[in-house]
Amino acid sequence: MLGIAVGMAGLVALGAMAERIGRFIEGGDRFVLGQISVAGEGMGMGAGFTAGGLLTAARMAEIARVPGVAVVQPQVMLPINTSTSSFLTLTQELLMGVDPGAPLANRNYRTLPLRVGRNLAAGNRGVTVLGTDFAASHKLDVGSTLTVGALEFKVVGILDKTLTAPDRFAMVALEDARDVWLRRDPLLFRVFGSGGLTRADLNSGAAVGWQDGVDPDALARRIQDTVKGVNVTIPGELSQLLRASTAFFSALLVGVGTLALVIGGLSLANTVTAAVFERIRDFGVKRALGATDLHLLREVLGEALAVSVWGVTIGLAMAVVIGFAVDSRTLREGQQLFYFSPRLIGFTVVFAVLLGGLAAAYATLRITRLSPAEAIRRGS
Amino acid sequence: MRVRARGLGKVYPGVDGAPPVRVLDDINLDADPGQVLAVVGQSGSGKSTLLNLLGLLEPVGAGEIRFDEARVSHLGRRAQCRVRGTQIGYVFQTFLLLASLTALDNVLLAARYVGRERREAERDALALMERLGVLHRRGHYPAQLSGGEQQRVAYCRAVLNRPPLLLADEPTGNLDDMHARVILDELRAQARERGATVILVTHRLDAAATADACLRLAAGRLASD
Repeated sequence: MLGIAVGMAGLVALGAMAERIGRFIEGGDRFVLGQISVAGEGMGMGAGFTAGGLLTAARMAEIARVPGVAVVQPQVMLPINTSTSSFLTLTQELLMGVDPGAPLANRNYRTLPLRVGRNLAAGNRGVTVLGTDFAASHKLDVGSTLTVGALEFKVVGILDKTLTAPDRFAMVALEDARDVWLRRDPLLFRVFGSGGLTRADLNSGAAVGWQDGVDPDALARRIQDTVKGVNVTIPGELSQLLRASTAFFSALLVGVGTLALVIGGLSLANTVTAAVFERIRDFGVKRALGATDLHLLREVLGEALAVSVWGVTIGLAMAVVIGFAVDSRTLREGQQLFYFSPRLIGFTVVFAVLLGGLAAAYATLRITRLSPAEAIRRGS
Repeated sequence: MRVRARGLGKVYPGVDGAPPVRVLDDINLDADPGQVLAVVGQSGSGKSTLLNLLGLLEPVGAGEIRFDEARVSHLGRRAQCRVRGTQIGYVFQTFLLLASLTALDNVLLAARYVGRERREAERDALALMERLGVLHRRGHYPAQLSGGEQQRVAYCRAVLNRPPLLLADEPTGNLDDMHARVILDELRAQARERGATVILVTHRLDAAATADACLRLAAGRLASD
């Protein structure tokens, strides 16, 4: 039983790590496929996610006129920690300035689910809604205060776990994000002060939504061709790019999953078959007393089922305890290593029961090929 | 039940290139209802193999076995299981009780595979265990029983279904004289009181002496009758 439990704990723990990586990659993919991200042309060192230059109000108005565009939502996305690279990354903590109260332009993330508190509302200033990992790593909760530079934000909500980029967001009103940006970037402040820009021009990018039935990749190319001086990401291409850049993690995921299956499966199958072979003498005695192959198979399958279910239950409990213990430490750094998804748990139970049954059936059929006398001899 | 074997033979294949071992050769045997037949012989003479063949615990190599008129040695696997469960009771030298079952459950194991109703089987089992003096040990596991108690429990299991054929392989080999006598008396009583055919492999001269007939084996062949 302990052998099975340990094997299943390994399977579940490794599987939970694979699930965590998988959810992160899937989430990122889902995000980029849900919107067309547009930035100004060039390399805007202040802008985080889109890594482009300023996207002015005039440019956004041009984008809005492109046939097929449903909504153009200005955004300011800034890295919280300015000492780190501001270029494309899915793991850094970001200050995300959005139009409060408006639904997100992203088709796959119209709203982000809240764990506690409330979302940003129209007219809100000086408040923030945090991703769950962001809140954990900064030890913030609803009612706490987040300081970014010289500005303070009262935390009004914590998002539910998404296991992807928004977990590390601090969402604020667009105007607040513009203030942070101006205070942080002296060059931008000087240009702004000279009257060359208005506040409406201070956007690191825009999320563009499309009308129903419109091909987003074709629309993105149309925007690129129609509007000069913008940097457009093609959702399909970015998705492919992301998949290519995460190919190593995908391969790792397959490797970890395979390893987990092999280790857990071997442990379970070995324990069940060993348990059957250990009782070879008993099977000989039972056959001497009239048990048919079917009788024995039914008995062994019943026992294997019980042992597998208990083993997998204890293994699951062990893995969850270990996972939560590890995560309780790593979450302080904003990292979650394990994700015990319902599909992982369901798969593990089905896998254990099926494999346990198969191993038991195999061992029983091997034994029933022996005569009762031979089984008694070998087991004595 | 009349037991008749004709031309029984058994050869075990050689291990690691060794030549095959002929364990039994051309054995003829008759045992009638109510008869106690003793099979004696030196170690390695083929006594236990003969009992295994008669009990359908391993396939015959040559010849045939009939229970009354039925040619049981050539029945299919499933049919042989049925015959073993309903018509044969075994008493082994090493008792062969299941360690994970209590004494009572070990006895009831005989009823499990022949479709007997549990309550009725349990009533019989308790009565048997009381007669053999092991009723008070019904909740104990084999490891908690003495050798004599284990053999009496094993005997209860062998006779629970009132089989017409009882096969006993050195049933007293691991018992002291007092416990050996109990088992031997019980086996004789089964033959006398309900007409069971009892075939007994033994090295005890007193057991062989009280049998109705004696079969002596030497090197796998019938030495005398």
